[in-house]
Amino acid sequence: MALRVKFLRNHRSLVYRACPCHLAETGDCILCSQLGGKNFCDCSNWNGVCIYQEYASNNYKAKESRKYYYCKVVEKNKFEDNIIIFTLEASDKLVSELVQAGSYVFVRRPDTDTRFDTPISIMDTDTRNNTITIAIELKGTKTKALDVLKQGEELLVKAPFWNGILGLKNINTIKNSKCIIVARGIGQAPMIPPLKHLHANNNEVTVVLDNSPYKNSFVNEYLEKYASKVIMVNTIVRGRITDEFNNILKNLISNNDFSLVHCDAADVLNYELMKAVEEIDKNIKYSCCNNAKMCCGEGICGCCTRKNNDRKLRRLCKMQTEPKYVLEGRRIF
Amino acid sequence: MKVIVIGGGWSGCSAAITAKKAGATVVLYEKTDMLLGLGNVGGIMRNNGRYTASEEMIALGAGDLIHLTDENSRHKNIDFPGHKHAWLYDVNKIEPAVEKYLKAMDIEINMITRVVDVEKEDNRIKGIYLSDGKYVEADVFIETTGSTGPMGNCLKYGNGCSMCILRCPAFGPRVSISYRAGIEDLKGERQEDVYGAISGSCKLAKDSLSDDVVKQLDATGVVVLKVPEEDVNLEKLKLKVCQQYALKEFAENIILLDTGHAKLMTSYYPLEKLRKIKGLEYAKYIDPYAGGKGNSIRYLSVAPRTDSMKVVGLDNLFCAGEKAGLFVGHTEAIITGALAGHNAIRNYLGMPLLMLPRSLAVGDIIAYANEKIHSKEGRTNRYTFAGAEYFNRMQELGLYTLDIDKIKGKVEKLNLTDIFSEKLI
Repeated sequence: MALRVKFLRNHRSLVYRACPCHLAETGDCILCSQLGGKNFCDCSNWNGVCIYQEYASNNYKAKESRKYYYCKVVEKNKFEDNIIIFTLEASDKLVSELVQAGSYVFVRRPDTDTRFDTPISIMDTDTRNNTITIAIELKGTKTKALDVLKQGEELLVKAPFWNGILGLKNINTIKNSKCIIVARGIGQAPMIPPLKHLHANNNEVTVVLDNSPYKNSFVNEYLEKYASKVIMVNTIVRGRITDEFNNILKNLISNNDFSLVHCDAADVLNYELMKAVEEIDKNIKYSCCNNAKMCCGEGICGCCTRKNNDRKLRRLCKMQTEPKYVLEGRRIF
Repeated sequence: MKVIVIGGGWSGCSAAITAKKAGATVVLYEKTDMLLGLGNVGGIMRNNGRYTASEEMIALGAGDLIHLTDENSRHKNIDFPGHKHAWLYDVNKIEPAVEKYLKAMDIEINMITRVVDVEKEDNRIKGIYLSDGKYVEADVFIETTGSTGPMGNCLKYGNGCSMCILRCPAFGPRVSISYRAGIEDLKGERQEDVYGAISGSCKLAKDSLSDDVVKQLDATGVVVLKVPEEDVNLEKLKLKVCQQYALKEFAENIILLDTGHAKLMTSYYPLEKLRKIKGLEYAKYIDPYAGGKGNSIRYLSVAPRTDSMKVVGLDNLFCAGEKAGLFVGHTEAIITGALAGHNAIRNYLGMPLLMLPRSLAVGDIIAYANEKIHSKEGRTNRYTFAGAEYFNRMQELGLYTLDIDKIKGKVEKLNLTDIFSEKLI
């Protein structure tokens, strides 16, 4: 099963909507060999459209990149002093483009410059009232600058982006099965779209929740609606999965036929959980949130690039792949 | 012992048959919903030197597919400019016949299943990855993915996707398995430093042609129509894959052959111009659908190989058909496929690999095409029993004969009678 690692470069179709991008113009496309500096097709990342053809049809130019939209703050809530939850008004088109699990946006205050763009996962979309909901943990300059905004004011949103989950294919293909979602802290926000999606596809979802560093959860109403079972546990201590969590995991998996485990947490937990699940049952599919630091989201700034031990460059804002290909073989200095 | 054949065109089917006959468990993967690939729009057998090659294959014990095309022929022994004693199989009947034949032999066929990558251990391929992420292992692999397309190549080296029978936009692109396994592909050239060549014929819907043309096609198999002088384009012959059909007559005339559809012996032809020709006023393309604009591009993906069809640099990958050289035609695909399939089992058993002797046309073309691809001028030529350089060579060397008994005797003398029917495991 270790063999699976090789197949991790299976990029998904949603990336294609923005293809070809600027990377094609410089021969740096991560999907198409013709646009990636070679002069023949080596199309092992095919997703239904020939990007090179699209590029030629567009007069050998990249498609327009993402636009900024002004979105009104319809509602602002604060949670335990350190999380703000915005509900934003957006166009019908934009909301529909952000429905998929893994969608995210860049937001900033209109009176700040592009350096303030901060990537935030979509927590929920409402296609009836055309709103999107995002939860922001106040961490540094960029996020704190957003806290100034009040209800009725506008936020600048660059969107849509879709690569917020690694192993997205696993979530998108699973039906009529049992799944586990593990979420910790602010990870409860990006957990909602996959939870809703899995629920909609007739999957029974067990949610393992770790509220720390917060006392309570801000997603209770979603859990009531979409989770079949919620287990509260302290998941990780000093970079190691707790025995308690490991036992819960073993119990769950040995007594049920789970097909997928999804994790929304820091990479250390994403990685540790991936290894733990693999050890219990290699056939269980795995996905997790994409935690790469991002500035532009379009493969240009280079902020999200990573090289692991295999020395291959990964542009994580665009590359859709299995978690293993990103989390395993990380370099530590 | 398990053999995986990647690609269900003529050479893949042929390889599957000989591998099965030699005693292997054979699993074939085909990306589209039909076997035979470009064979679904081909049809020409036994013309010129292909007659000799077909009879040699029968004598060698790999006549299965030749018998099938013979049985499904619409016309036998017809002549058209530059070509004698051609047999034309019915492209609307042949595919189900081949599928039925393979299934009856207990060959596992996986349709709409595209192979996209390999897993390697040293110089061995351990397994293949399918486009849906599944991983499958085997002992020996045979790559018969051809060299046509996908869209990016047709765009870069041709006039773009013309919606040919391979239907890449629908079923996904061909992936070079040998390249995925780390072996660089060789490329054919149509002129110096111009890579690839354009497929050489189209199909017109017979119902769209005039009654006279249809009547003549049904009766004789061939119709020759004059091209208006202002539209004769000799330059276009350079582009063609099929050098055996790159003759002046083919530029000055429209040559139609009856293969179930009307096979138009030119790589592409603007519809507006085509309709100026008497009898073709209502003509409509059915392969490629955009035959007025272009045709598929080929020869960008040839694996380096030995004369036993083993890919150089890998211990357990064999190749055949266009993947194995600058070959043109079904017969050529069937021969190389048969040898690859048979040798896959010899390779597994550690036996010496079979090399067909050069005193047979089938052995000589395999060796000759291999010699030639390593030279610059050799890469601008195509290798087929049906014409061009190689048919001349056949005649010069005395390899061309229509005498079936003589061919049988020759194979017998070489002690190779029915060698491909031999069960090795």
